[in-house]
Amino acid sequence: MQYCTACQKAIATIVIMDLVEGAVTGSQHVCASCAEQLGVATQKHPPKFSAEMLEDLLGGLKGAKPLSRSRAEACPGCGLTPAEFRTKGRLGCPRCYETFRHELMPLLQRIHEAQSHRGRLPGLTSAPPPIDERTLSDLRRRLEDAVRGEQYEEAARLRDDLRRAERGEGPPAGGLG
Amino acid sequence: MSGGRGDKNSEFRPGTWLQGTGPECDIAICTRARLARNLQGFRFSPCIEPDESRRLYDFVSGRLRQGGLPEQLNLLDLEPVDELERSVLVERHLISRELAAGKRPSGVAVDADESIAVMINEEDHLRMQVFASGLQTEAVWRRAERLDDALMQRLPMACSEEFGFLTSCPTNTGTGLRLSVMLHLPGLVWSEEIDKATNVAQKIHLAVRGLYGEGSRALGDFYQVSNQQTLGRDEMQIQSDVLLAVGRVVQWEREVRGALLRGSARVRTLDRVHRALGILERAQILTSEDALGSLSALRFGIEEDLIEGFTIAAVNRALLLSQPGHLQRHTRELLNPEERDQRRAALLREVLGCSP
Repeated sequence: MQYCTACQKAIATIVIMDLVEGAVTGSQHVCASCAEQLGVATQKHPPKFSAEMLEDLLGGLKGAKPLSRSRAEACPGCGLTPAEFRTKGRLGCPRCYETFRHELMPLLQRIHEAQSHRGRLPGLTSAPPPIDERTLSDLRRRLEDAVRGEQYEEAARLRDDLRRAERGEGPPAGGLG
Repeated sequence: MSGGRGDKNSEFRPGTWLQGTGPECDIAICTRARLARNLQGFRFSPCIEPDESRRLYDFVSGRLRQGGLPEQLNLLDLEPVDELERSVLVERHLISRELAAGKRPSGVAVDADESIAVMINEEDHLRMQVFASGLQTEAVWRRAERLDDALMQRLPMACSEEFGFLTSCPTNTGTGLRLSVMLHLPGLVWSEEIDKATNVAQKIHLAVRGLYGEGSRALGDFYQVSNQQTLGRDEMQIQSDVLLAVGRVVQWEREVRGALLRGSARVRTLDRVHRALGILERAQILTSEDALGSLSALRFGIEEDLIEGFTIAAVNRALLLSQPGHLQRHTRELLNPEERDQRRAALLREVLGCSP
């Protein structure tokens, strides 16, 4: 444990290193607020891979936790508030499915162990083609690899492909993934 | 329609699905498919405004009256129907308790043999139910699908590719399909295996609850098994899941019945069945619970050829008619509980053809 070399009061949590052509030529241990004043660091840390990010990225595919939404508002379709939804457990109108998406996804996962529909819809006379389990497990593996390798763009694309595949649809035109 | 006031014969003509016919009908009383559907452009029923509710009811009932549906349905407007008549409809499984208690404009469209009932303005705008006697999961689903096809052509259903059919409660989202089989399981109950069977069913995401009685307590050994999950599995998968699981429960029930009729257990089982018959033939006061218990034992006796002179259909009819709504409707007066129990004892003797 080391005290901040600038204010001498707080515990230093940041190391400022002077780099010359890739070599460390000097270092200074400072606290977060002094670092901010010095303009060399901010309280906002660069994004680091975390479980939350993974869940966010997967868009609830694996039962994301409900995000605490300070901006959550009543549904524009029916006026149902998030609090009413939570107490009643009933949605107010078709639009609620989008409005309360973040609360709904983990709920659907818990109830149905699934988050997307398979089966009939108006206009579809026959059942969708059977899911190719090999394609699915391949996509899941590649998605996990991409997330592990912090290749978020690739992961997002794979996530979309996986969703489509889970609904029994093929890859989009252009054959991504 | 046959559930209407003043139709004397209907009291003795329960829906054809209570006839005691069809596959595995000794154990599986009947199968039901229920589809939950909502219309675009309206709030879901629990959140609906009164005038919007009226518009919805008028719109849906108008479309149902247009004809050309694969089923001949008669629409019953529930507004002028009193509490007693509503409870009769609940006991016949044509409407839910929620719809019976509801204040919204509502109705039910029923076919002549009461094997189809379409509720309007229940928790969802439409709740379609199809019944068949015995274990017939595919048949009820196919018939529900045909009706659903026709209704989708007439009504703009709320749905999305992602979530399927959008319902008021997230437990119905997706297919909106709940497939239930009503089972008579005295063997599992008497041999105290029922909890085990219930646990196994729950592990594979089937809900098990008593057909009669409140909460988890099942009266008369009658149970209802249904799929819990409606999202992520298509209708035929749900159908085969339920069929497979119920098939196993039926097999299990047969095995324990076999054990109850062998060796030293046999005399105890016979005693139980004949005591029940004695009660039904002689009792002057019968509570609902006593009646269900005795009728269950009698049904078991008939199914296993332990007693003669009674039919499954008669027991099914007795089960229906001994419920409070039907009982009071039969006597055409409101009765206090004690009077009800006396009338129940008399009515059961009459229905089962026992000497007074």
